[in-house]
Amino acid sequence: MKHFKYLLASLLLLSSSLAAAASLQLQLQSDTANPAHPTMGDWMHFNSVITNTGQQPIEGLVAWISLVEVTPGKEQPMDLEDWSAHKAVTGTTLQPGAVLQTQWPMRLIQSGDYRVVISATDRNNKTVFTSPTLQFHVAQKPVVESARILPVALGIPLLIGGLLGVQKVRRWHKTG
Amino acid sequence: MNAFTLIAKKERRALLQNQRGLAWLLAYTGILSAFALLLISNRELSLLDNAQVVYMMAGTVTAAGALIAVIMGADAYAGERERGTLVPLLTAPISTGELLMGKAAGLASAWGIMYLLAIPYLWAVGAGGQNLGQAIFYLGLFGTPVVLGFGYLAMALSARSGSVMYSLMTSLIVLLFSASPLLIGPGLRNSAIGKVLDAVNPFSGALNTYDAVIIDSDPLMSQLGRLALVLIWLGLMFAVARLSARRPVFR
Repeated sequence: MKHFKYLLASLLLLSSSLAAAASLQLQLQSDTANPAHPTMGDWMHFNSVITNTGQQPIEGLVAWISLVEVTPGKEQPMDLEDWSAHKAVTGTTLQPGAVLQTQWPMRLIQSGDYRVVISATDRNNKTVFTSPTLQFHVAQKPVVESARILPVALGIPLLIGGLLGVQKVRRWHKTG
Repeated sequence: MNAFTLIAKKERRALLQNQRGLAWLLAYTGILSAFALLLISNRELSLLDNAQVVYMMAGTVTAAGALIAVIMGADAYAGERERGTLVPLLTAPISTGELLMGKAAGLASAWGIMYLLAIPYLWAVGAGGQNLGQAIFYLGLFGTPVVLGFGYLAMALSARSGSVMYSLMTSLIVLLFSASPLLIGPGLRNSAIGKVLDAVNPFSGALNTYDAVIIDSDPLMSQLGRLALVLIWLGLMFAVARLSARRPVFR
């Protein structure tokens, strides 16, 4: 009987600690001011809401934005280097029931189909929580092509520099 | 060969066959090349569409043309005086009008060369986009009176003052003031003072036309007011230069 009581107490303790484990709920929405038909160079904003739905405070919360290209044949995770300067929120403490709202600005660098997602974890939890993904299409627009520019940008000054050089040589020959 | 043609040939030779002239052209193409290379190496600039880039390039070419015109104009009379060649010129059997037109023809040749050199750059940044042909046409139509106008202004100051330094600095100040639309933002230009300045500034007239035609695809008819502005500027500066050239300072 004594052993049974100890076993029951342990089970109850385990279940309560499981129930008190960190739990995050993530929501993600596209900002209402975003362009209806985004094009390369446009800015888009995504708004996330992270809620602590657990019984314990969450310490050392880290939330980050991820972007994946899903254009057929070009599927790949994207390096956000040029897309966004605001890639993560770190070191926040979230009390039970508390909410963290974050806006994620993003510059559309390349055309294609993309999915964006917000992920979050904390220092005490090995689980990574994610928001639902949002998919959007970035339209192409005609931009400057390096194949045309390089020959002109390098060639014309070289040509004039060459004429200058010929002038100098001629003058040098004349004066001896 | 008449005196006007002789002077025009001499001025043109100074640009194309003279080391200093070629160095100026090299500096000019260097500026355009630096801008073009920035467009492909800088992420922010590489996202601009063709029309926006062509507009910026056309503005840069006009500004550079006006700068060269000011430098050549400032040297036209005061430079000859400082070199001791103005008196022989004035005593030669040429009229003051022929002398002025000869100098102006040299200036126009310089602008013509700069315009021709700009075309491959405009093609390089604008091909595949919109209104490239219009950009090249309007650069000639609006850029020419603006550039020549500044050249005449500098020549007038050069004849009146007899000092290259004075005429160059004064002309540059006027040019910088006129070119300020390139530097200040659209917010300031939309203010009451900004709008008044835009209405009387030939440089703004040219830039606003490039914007309207290249980016917004507006027709020529909508730009007649600005065309009148730049032609009035050219006419006024020509009249001022002609008046000043009748009695240039030679002592």
